[in-house]
Amino acid sequence: MTNQWHDACATDDVDDEDLITMKLAGQTVAIYNTPEGFFATAGMCTHEDESLDGGLVMDGVIECPLHQGRFCVRTGKALSAPVVENLKTYELQVRDGRVWVKV
Amino acid sequence: MITNAQSSNIHMDKKQLKALMRRSDRPGLTYLAAWIALLAITGTPVILTAGSWWFIPAILVYSGCFAVSAYALSHECAHGTAFRTRWLNEAVFWVTSLLYYEEPLHRRYSHASHHTHTWIEGEDNQMPYAPIPLTFAGWVEEILGLGLYWHQTKMFVLHSLGIFSENVKRVTPASELPRMQSNTQICVAIYLGLAAISMAAGWLWPLYLIVIPRVLGGPVMNAFILMQHVEMAENQPNIVQSTRSFRTNWFFQFLYFNMNHHIEHHLYPTVPFHALPDLSDKLGDQLPPPDPGFISTHWEVLKITIRRSLGRNDRSAKIRQAFSDDLTGAQNDQSVA
Ligand code: FES
Repeated sequence: MTNQWHDACATDDVDDEDLITMKLAGQTVAIYNTPEGFFATAGMCTHEDESLDGGLVMDGVIECPLHQGRFCVRTGKALSAPVVENLKTYELQVRDGRVWVKV
Repeated sequence: MITNAQSSNIHMDKKQLKALMRRSDRPGLTYLAAWIALLAITGTPVILTAGSWWFIPAILVYSGCFAVSAYALSHECAHGTAFRTRWLNEAVFWVTSLLYYEEPLHRRYSHASHHTHTWIEGEDNQMPYAPIPLTFAGWVEEILGLGLYWHQTKMFVLHSLGIFSENVKRVTPASELPRMQSNTQICVAIYLGLAAISMAAGWLWPLYLIVIPRVLGGPVMNAFILMQHVEMAENQPNIVQSTRSFRTNWFFQFLYFNMNHHIEHHLYPTVPFHALPDLSDKLGDQLPPPDPGFISTHWEVLKITIRRSLGRNDRSAKIRQAFSDDLTGAQNDQSVA
């Protein structure tokens, strides 16, 4: 099923300035907790299919663990080489301490 | 075949790793200031002794300090880990890549391939130009950096004209090639512009403080680079087997931005240089003991290449080394003694 809201995790499950990745409706999704709020993007880097799970979240940017390519977590925009293809983003809502993602 | 911590069966607590990955400008700025101070201290005698015999030792000392750290800082900036502030990282990346003699975007993409496919022939774009396993002639070629000079010069010409080899296209997205071309043109303009201004103004300092030191310091710099993977296992996914860490004194660690912790760097390239000793401690006995000091490890490598060239036993008991390969390199190494 696609384009459905999924109860992904509790807000406490994601540390401040960090991310977790999970499978939702067959997609690997990354959920970020930043000072600007929670965001969701595809969980695999667009450069070489590396999981973003071990990446660094800093100033609203996720840095890929393999080659340090950077994406804006809000827009999915690829910010610096070696990434050029944007990350897919997902709608996200926080309700009663739970994070919901539309996938 | 992707080479990373997972493919090397190395594990680290996520929270500990995140703490080590944290960025700050301070360590990078401290190192940068210390390096510039060192260049000022060792460079002053170069200028003052020009024309006398004292010029030779003065420029040799300066060249080592110049070339090794220009390479190491450019490498750290290629990863974006030298500074937290992005523009600062990119500005230093440009300057140090120019000093190292490589266009920055190409440096970043070729280095990405080195991390994805570490020491895998045909996929890692930063393997030695001489055939491996190295013979003595190959060692000389690598230490003098002859392949590197030729390759980089060719690239400055071809990339300026928008001509890219299949190897470059394999690791660079097509949408980035125009930027690589314009970057290369900017680099060439800077090199030629500085040469023209220097000739017109009669300046000798670019020659004494940049060009000659890059060539004279090249062998020391290349020795550091060669140590990272030489004699280690090719064409397999385990970074611990393809990569070497070695002990060295504080001064060389400083010049080399802690890259003697090279296995650790390949396992977790998001960890900045200043946190590598800490990462090494935390990984503990998941890692093999580092090889002995820089000079002694390199001395072993040199003896191995000489013995190999003479058709003698090429094993060393003192450093980590892949199991024997044949001289053509046709047989893949799979493991490390
Ligand atoms: S795999 Fe993510 S930047 Fe290369």
